[in-house]
Amino acid sequence: MAQVKYGMVVDLRKCYGCHACSVACKSENGVPLGVFRTWVKQVEKGKYPEVRRYFLPRLCNHCDEAICVKVCPVQATYKREDGTVLINYDKCIGCGYCIAACPYQARYIDPVRKVADKCTFCAHRVDQGLVPACVNTCPAQARVFGDLNDPQSEIAKLVATNAVQVLRPETGLRPNIFYISPDVNAMKGGELAWSRR
Amino acid sequence: MVELSRRSFLKLGAAGAALLTLQGSFSSLTAAKELTAGGKSVSPRTKKERQGIPSVCLQCVSGCGIIGYVEDGRIVKIEGNPEHPNNRGRLCAKGQAGINNEYDPERILYPMKRVGARGEGKWKRISREEAYSEVAARLREVRDLGRPEEFAFHYGRNRLQDYEKRFMYAFGSPTILDHTAICEASKKVGQELTWGTDVDINDAPNSRYLLNFGCSIFEAHVIHNSFAQRVVEGQMNGARLVTFDVRLSNTAARSNEWFPIKPGTDGLVALAMANVIMREGLYDKEFLDTWTNYPSDKLAQHLKQFTPEMAEKESGVPAADIRRIAIEFATARPATTVSYRGACSHENGAMNERCIILLNAITGNVDVKGGFCLPRSGKTKGAPDPKPEKPSVKSVLASPPDYPLASHAANQLVLPMIKAGKQKIKVYMTYWYNPAYSLPDTDLAMEVLKDERLIPYFVAIDAYMSEATALADIILPDSTYLERWDPETAGAYSLVPYVALRQPVVPPLGEAVPVRDMFGELARRIGGGMEKYFDFGATEDYIRVAVLENKGLAEAGGLEYLKKHGAWYDKSKKPDYKSYAKPLKPEELAGATVDANGYSIVKTDKKGKKQVVGVMVDGKPCKGFPTGKHGISGKFEIYSKKMEEKGFPALPTYVPVAAHRKMKDDELILTTFKVSTQTQSRTANCKWLTEISHDNPLWIHPRTAAARGIKDGDTVKVVSRLKSAVTRARVTEGIHPGVVAFAMGSGHWEYGRVAGAKNFKSADRDTELIWWEKHGNGVHLNSLIPVAADPVGGGQPYMDTVVTVTRA
Repeated sequence: MAQVKYGMVVDLRKCYGCHACSVACKSENGVPLGVFRTWVKQVEKGKYPEVRRYFLPRLCNHCDEAICVKVCPVQATYKREDGTVLINYDKCIGCGYCIAACPYQARYIDPVRKVADKCTFCAHRVDQGLVPACVNTCPAQARVFGDLNDPQSEIAKLVATNAVQVLRPETGLRPNIFYISPDVNAMKGGELAWSRR
Repeated sequence: MVELSRRSFLKLGAAGAALLTLQGSFSSLTAAKELTAGGKSVSPRTKKERQGIPSVCLQCVSGCGIIGYVEDGRIVKIEGNPEHPNNRGRLCAKGQAGINNEYDPERILYPMKRVGARGEGKWKRISREEAYSEVAARLREVRDLGRPEEFAFHYGRNRLQDYEKRFMYAFGSPTILDHTAICEASKKVGQELTWGTDVDINDAPNSRYLLNFGCSIFEAHVIHNSFAQRVVEGQMNGARLVTFDVRLSNTAARSNEWFPIKPGTDGLVALAMANVIMREGLYDKEFLDTWTNYPSDKLAQHLKQFTPEMAEKESGVPAADIRRIAIEFATARPATTVSYRGACSHENGAMNERCIILLNAITGNVDVKGGFCLPRSGKTKGAPDPKPEKPSVKSVLASPPDYPLASHAANQLVLPMIKAGKQKIKVYMTYWYNPAYSLPDTDLAMEVLKDERLIPYFVAIDAYMSEATALADIILPDSTYLERWDPETAGAYSLVPYVALRQPVVPPLGEAVPVRDMFGELARRIGGGMEKYFDFGATEDYIRVAVLENKGLAEAGGLEYLKKHGAWYDKSKKPDYKSYAKPLKPEELAGATVDANGYSIVKTDKKGKKQVVGVMVDGKPCKGFPTGKHGISGKFEIYSKKMEEKGFPALPTYVPVAAHRKMKDDELILTTFKVSTQTQSRTANCKWLTEISHDNPLWIHPRTAAARGIKDGDTVKVVSRLKSAVTRARVTEGIHPGVVAFAMGSGHWEYGRVAGAKNFKSADRDTELIWWEKHGNGVHLNSLIPVAADPVGGGQPYMDTVVTVTRA
């Protein structure tokens, strides 16, 4: 069996766009106003009355080939052995290269500390045996976190038994957030992450 | 670090594990199987486990179990309590943002006295003693005049389990006013008149079909999160969800089918479906003829008039779909209806509710697994003896005589009735209630609240400077729900009753005081005998006794168990369905007789009051349905004698909304809704919520917008018969072309600067990062909505206002 590799499945058959995850993350990680580490994108498609709204929870993809790690001039962004992409805030110079490079718009400059920041998969919780805060609170249990390399894990089973999709596979970054039953309209185009409108 | 497989790691044994721990990679290698959800929190800074105190949320009324995590005496995180059987460890956005309410930098922490004109915003901090003495003196004066009913207590969010009644009754006033009629009073009354209880629990996880009239399950509900998560469970188990709503709510969006419907016609669509089910012979004859008070053949006859074609004409829902959905619903057993404000917040609201829930009786889905179930709640006892008697003097504000069936009153009428001189008020005391914002015709509400002749003395118990509290003469700073005690129970979605405990996560900040304690303080100062009802020590001590009503909990450790676990239920108990069919025991029948109707089993109490204790079915005495506030018969009352007595149609029928019959071509119907990230009026000061939902553009259909030259984002003028207001348009395909809608919870003109979209300096760095100033904080359109009441249910028809919309 291989090394632990963390990832997340977001089951869009369950998500109802309530933003419990968005707020859990703010609270757990002290994320300041003006930026989000996770967000639920909403897209409305179709013509009345055949109109639908789709929800797409978004966060850092903790890519296998993390471009943010590669472009960081000071090696502040790094990948842990368990796959989690983290930032050493003492090293970060806030140059923003990683933010420009990330195709998922998952990163931001912290308005207070002026360093790059993003989802950490709640590494401080995971290290203590707890699932990330967003997973913990999700009322629909749409988010499943775990070891993709452990075939017995819930996440690995979900990935194995469902036609999962990732966002922007064409980038070749091998992201680790897998979506079950996404709507193609919500996956494509526009802002992928949070924006001020 | 060398790569280790799990197997080889396990072989390393304890010594190896210790070594790996020292190297700091223990978790990354082994955590996958160890990860647990909730019940524990660690400080990201110190990595130490935080102290967790289980309690019960009160950001909305759902009563979800929470754990407040505390570090250095401060609440640092709120999560769901995994031991709470309703929300099962999960917590919505609002619940988690409870921290924002606790530490709102503009929270009222000290007693304040008005020094300028009423509403001028000039305040002086006074001592607790001065505040209590002043309020007590004013109240003593009212009582000494011999007119105690002129003291009105009006509450908003109240989970005091009748503790406010103790205070008011001890004082001698019956003028206790609630807020239910601006929410779902008509739904409650419709239900109480039909099956005795005021709330339905839809057993979604076990259901095959959820037929939803006007409930946005995924955005708001009286037990929101606990129900919503189970609807998802039901959907994953294969249940169909069909939604009738004027707008593409997040629920409509997640439904298998969404039918836009003309406001106020839900009941008719339900009746047409009932008609189809009867005609197709898909009804449950046994249930109808045994457990309801109206025989199936006569019902079929009555329903014939409500054809799918007639329903299509009125509602806009195609007749073919009505037919198809009716048959699907009737054949996909178990199934249940779901209904909320979309159906009940109309002038025909209670009737709509009766029409909708009839579908459950017709299909035999009442209190069955996966069906439309009676609520199961735990028991709590009130505060100890002596208990004050209910005063004999009457209050027309509390029981408006023109609405004899409105068992949840009609609070929207209170201020207009005061203005009209229907009842004189000397002291008006509000408790976490914001009539200046949350009522219809807010201009009228403000006018009355500002008028010192109509309301000579206005006391607000509140933790926030709400629109109404800003008009008070004196403010008593309330503790938050995170600082107080309450026994709690709500309808159990596991269908096994539970009891939970709200306990202080932190002590009250500043000079805030839990309202229960305020009552005692005031009673002792008012004196004259009322103090004896508050002479029993700490609230904690009375709750210790109150929760012992539940036998199993008493055995498990009573209050100490709740303090540790937050909630209790009998883990060995399985849901007990069809409770109405339970045979009555001989001891329950002692002294009972059968009523003239031939089935109600009646007992007469010492005071000569008749009470229905069961029903005779096939010659056997059974428990029957609750009889509720209206004292109905114990059967599922398709035919309502109580309604007939008061001059309303006894059978479920279609009563069109009068104002909608004579609409002009350019007129639209204004409706309201809630988003999942705000409550109606009490959360806009929560920074994490208001960052997500800070404004509320008016939803308008593209065709409707185009006809008026309105583009997305345009400023528009909305005019009702009361007044006009300017807001912004959100052009969306997700709304009925004849309807415009706005979200409640935005557009505050008080409630602090977070709610007001104003950037400011405070102890919380975040208040300098408020970035949505340029978007504004939305527009609250309640001032356009005239005060009215459903003649049966008393509910405010929030979804009936006729308006015109033009480009501003």
